Amino acid sequence: MRIRGIEKQFAGEIALRDVNLDVVRGEIHGLVGANGAGKSTLIRCLAGVTVPDRGTITIDGAELRPGSPRASEAAGLAFIHQELNLIPHFSALENMLLGAPKATRLFLIDWKASGVAARAAAERVGIRFPLETRVSELSVAERWLVMISKALVRRANLIAMDEPTASLSAAESEQLFRIVRDLAGDGVAILYVSHRLDEVLDLCDRITVLRDGTVVAREVRGRLDKKGLVQAIIGHDVGPGGQRARRAVPRDGTPVFAARGVARGDAVKGVSFEVYPGEVFALGGLVGSGRTEVARLAIGMDRLEAGHFEMDGKRLAVSDEADAVKQGLALVPEERRAQGMLLDQSVGFNINVASLLQLRALPGLPFVSAGKARGRAERLMKELSVKAPGPAAKISALSGGNQQKTMIARWLRPGTKVLILDEPSRGVDVGAREEIHEAIRELARNGVGIIVISSDVEELAILADRVVVLREGHVTGELVGEEISEARIIELSYMHGSELAEPAEGKGKGP
Amino acid sequence: MTTLAEGQKAAAVRRSGSGKRAALVFVSRYGTIIGLLAMIVFFSIAAPDTFPTRANFLNILSQASLTAIIAAGLTYTLVVGEFDLSVGFVASFIGLIVCGLMANQGFPIPVAIIASLALGTVIGCINGLLVTKVGINAVIATLGVGTILSGIGFSYSAFPIAVGIPRDFTMISIGRVLFGIPNPVIIMFAVLAILWVILNKTDLGQKMQAVGSNIEASRLSGIRVDRIKLFAFMTAGFCAALTGILLSSLLGSGTLGAGDGYLLNAFAAVFLGSATLREGQFHIFGTLIGVLILAVGFNGLSIFGAPTHFQPIFKGGILVFAVGLSALARRYAASA
Repeated sequence: MRIRGIEKQFAGEIALRDVNLDVVRGEIHGLVGANGAGKSTLIRCLAGVTVPDRGTITIDGAELRPGSPRASEAAGLAFIHQELNLIPHFSALENMLLGAPKATRLFLIDWKASGVAARAAAERVGIRFPLETRVSELSVAERWLVMISKALVRRANLIAMDEPTASLSAAESEQLFRIVRDLAGDGVAILYVSHRLDEVLDLCDRITVLRDGTVVAREVRGRLDKKGLVQAIIGHDVGPGGQRARRAVPRDGTPVFAARGVARGDAVKGVSFEVYPGEVFALGGLVGSGRTEVARLAIGMDRLEAGHFEMDGKRLAVSDEADAVKQGLALVPEERRAQGMLLDQSVGFNINVASLLQLRALPGLPFVSAGKARGRAERLMKELSVKAPGPAAKISALSGGNQQKTMIARWLRPGTKVLILDEPSRGVDVGAREEIHEAIRELARNGVGIIVISSDVEELAILADRVVVLREGHVTGELVGEEISEARIIELSYMHGSELAEPAEGKGKGP
Repeated sequence: MTTLAEGQKAAAVRRSGSGKRAALVFVSRYGTIIGLLAMIVFFSIAAPDTFPTRANFLNILSQASLTAIIAAGLTYTLVVGEFDLSVGFVASFIGLIVCGLMANQGFPIPVAIIASLALGTVIGCINGLLVTKVGINAVIATLGVGTILSGIGFSYSAFPIAVGIPRDFTMISIGRVLFGIPNPVIIMFAVLAILWVILNKTDLGQKMQAVGSNIEASRLSGIRVDRIKLFAFMTAGFCAALTGILLSSLLGSGTLGAGDGYLLNAFAAVFLGSATLREGQFHIFGTLIGVLILAVGFNGLSIFGAPTHFQPIFKGGILVFAVGLSALARRYAASA
């Protein structure tokens, strides 16, 4: 397979720029890069889900028709995503044959005849469970095997795997690696996308590093070590932090907010941290490291299985989101569209929706004062420089940055003690990002407990006074003030489970 | 994904600005009002002696009043993003019960009315609890409750309750306390005014609008979504009960299934209304416009002596047209 000069823009933002990539038969090719570097977009172009603006993809010398998933499949490309697109109540066999040509007898599917190829594939990847088993009864590892078999049934000669080991145990991962090596030995090309650098270094014959939509490094195995890889991923040799003067935050006294060994399922396995008044605290880590899940637990969207949260030194028990808000804990969610904005309402309505009681015309009577509401909206729009014709403008007409400022403005009210901001500058342009950061710092200066969650290490390095990094539900480290740098955050983000400092674990599983 | 969505939005914005689109927005905003006025003008010219008279206008309002009350309650459930298919059955059931309480139990009129309104509100509350706490889809829950009510109504009295109804009760609908305006019209305006104020001027109403706009965001803004929805269902139950009572008063009897037909009328009116002024949002003023369009239409049809079977054709046609218009309005609002 040969990729030449692929480019793709989304709404003016460059996702891929002049990307070249060759994958040869029998090769395991690693594809790494930070969140948003363009890995997913590249895979989507291959799969025919996204049409590139420019560039060509050739498979065995024949050019691939862009934007056609069928053409991609016919060319022998198969894709296995993290979410594993299987139909849960179909059997493993039915899933393998889904969409593949099947033998028929009298217009009915002859499962026996059709299953021959599937059974051969299943044997090849070492499936030991009956193929009649429903997928919903299979483990994640077993589902991966089904997906790989499905690809083999279609005679795929290139299989792209996205984060295959994300939810596999060490033993299961080993089994997967063995299968991947076998497949490569049989001449199948593997495009292996992963955040687990050790795995990539160990498994892949060649590694391509993407950053900001551009290929920044391509090396054969052994020519690159983990340190070099990390450096390629973040780009520059990062010196010791210090992009700005960090506030020396007095760490004595009572933390305004704290997590004490909170845990839920596989996502959050005992996380502890403290947030002091006046500081910008941040949770770092890769997507899926458990950051958002911690926020969901704090805000009462999910139930805690162990541990607890504290506010102002007192144990905090929230029954649901509304209760959290009542107690002074609010979330600016990651998914602005789905969870944040009242899209068909005005900017003013969006700003005031959490402060309706304070905006009553007369205390005790249920009437909202239109004047007070407009006044508050106008004041906050000015304070946060929300660019809109006025409070009556529809929020849907605003740019991403101004929408996000509106979301923050919603919580600039006396009752807010702790504000969690999940990916506060996602989909926001650089100028607005700076203004949003300033608003966050201002909130912190006013004594509001701030928790910023971000996958953007640069943002963390610029914004945070203290960073706790998570990896697979554990705390891998804490950086304070001058210690904070992109390199250190990345290092902690990629720290492998076995390298985990025991204390982090012990602290989590504590009493 | 965000970037993709925003890209599509940007493209939509670029496509906009054409005269065709502006015209569509205008039609979707004012089309229903223009349609209503056009109908009035048309009927006035076509039947100058019978249509544009004070008596006929009062007649139209009178016919509109019961639909308007039940539709206003239904509007509340739609504002919070739910549905209530039981309102017609509730009206029938309560119409029967209120007569039974007076004729069989010998309750004084005010007591019977208050008890019936309370019962309607409780039924709405049950609908709301089934939807919010149990998590049954609103269409199924309210259809089930409505069907159960029709069965209970049948076992309560399979025959109309007409004997033993006090004359004063029938006078409620027939009487004209103010300026010769039929009482139901006054009650309609009172109910609409109260519901309008609650929806637009109180924090409860703003929360209802927030819930209808984005449930998840409302929850994260500290709104107790379940309670808000419960209130909407209870309002719908109350309004349906009020319509049922007025209907029995008008008929002078409690008749099985008498109010069932209001369901479709109310839906047609509410969806017509949602395409008025606000591009796909449900609101009280729009609902009133929707009800008036139906009432004027029916009135005009009967003045011209259109056969009765024409009414369901008109009603069904208007419902499909109204929902279509509302969907179009929402789509254009989304791409604006």
